[in-house]
Amino acid sequence: MAMIVKFWGVRGSIPTTAQWARVFGGNTPCVEIRAGDGVFICDAGTGIRELGRDLARRSPAPKAAHLFLSHLHLDHIQGLPFFLAAVPDLRVHVYGVSDDDTSRRRLLSGELGAEFFPQNVEQPRASLAFDQLDDTEPCVIGDVRVRSLPLKHPGGCHGFVFEHDGRKVVYASDVDLDAGQAGAQERTATSDVMTLRPVPRALLNAARGADLLIVDGQYNDPQYRVRVGSGHSSCLTATDLAIQADVKNLALFHHDPDDRDSDVETKVKLCLARAAKLGAELPIFAAREGVALKF
Amino acid sequence: MAETSSHRRSEATVPTLIVAARRERDVRPHRLQQIEGTGAPRLIPLDREEFVMGRDEAANIRINSPRASRRHAFIRRHEEGFELLDNESRNGILLNGLKVYSAVLRDGDVVQVADGVFVYHES
Repeated sequence: MAMIVKFWGVRGSIPTTAQWARVFGGNTPCVEIRAGDGVFICDAGTGIRELGRDLARRSPAPKAAHLFLSHLHLDHIQGLPFFLAAVPDLRVHVYGVSDDDTSRRRLLSGELGAEFFPQNVEQPRASLAFDQLDDTEPCVIGDVRVRSLPLKHPGGCHGFVFEHDGRKVVYASDVDLDAGQAGAQERTATSDVMTLRPVPRALLNAARGADLLIVDGQYNDPQYRVRVGSGHSSCLTATDLAIQADVKNLALFHHDPDDRDSDVETKVKLCLARAAKLGAELPIFAAREGVALKF
Repeated sequence: MAETSSHRRSEATVPTLIVAARRERDVRPHRLQQIEGTGAPRLIPLDREEFVMGRDEAANIRINSPRASRRHAFIRRHEEGFELLDNESRNGILLNGLKVYSAVLRDGDVVQVADGVFVYHES
């Protein structure tokens, strides 16, 4: 059975409705993975609203969905109230990794409160169930195996590895791949072109051989240098991660909210050029709303 | 006085022109322009809810190629325009060179189905 991955939100930090961002889309992170009979969702950014409307139209309508939250920054949870209202009959299992599970429950429940979301209390909405993930222990849902791993991002963040029937998809939004790497701030466009950059070992191992790696590629190198500490990556380091992990496809994700479509396309070209110079034949593309891939 | 009169005229005509321009844009159908493959060049107005692309003689957009499946792909109306969907074809579909399963189309997208290459134009 195949895995189908669909991008519903690909933008980082804050949604943008600008016409110049229309091709790749302006909604914040949400990726749907269909595997076996299950619907798996990575993050509940504003893109999840449209996913909810789509699920409500499907026949037969799914009875359950499994939502994996990388972290609780606003751009990753902002669409949840609208999603839940769109699919009132759905049971949503919310998975996250946290030392304090009650904080996830408290924050998400707060977001659904009348102070933040003016929903009529009588209006039906999907029910939530909270499940805890452990980085040391994969969980199995139906015939899909899901592992989590910590990512370097202010306040903490987690990536997820979905495996099904010999296929693997890795979601690693919001990660600074260069965190703690000496010399990352001094790089120029040509200074390290023949040397693969060091990348986090745990993510490298998790991504090894993946059919698809979805990873933070918000910046180019000059942007990264002036935004060190924001918890996001240079798309060129993301490329080096994909090459070293020998993934089959790389999707650059979490596009900068100020990036025009042409800026995103330029980043892809930069990455393709770097991969070619390093001798790698790797399909690299920018995640785009409304696009689905099958593996 | 003449200046005031001219000013009034422009106030009266400009909104009318804007309305007319918007109507014009709304009624023009989106189009698929075939630039390569058997049948090219041709311009296909997307004036139906659904189009079948493939080798089948009954396909709305026929692609006469052994690499095309009989009913290879669909183009369906979507609230944002049109959506391209692979119909479990043998050789798949490419969007701007990337193999995709489905995609909401954007102006200027290049769609490849077997030997047929098409450019999508929004109205």
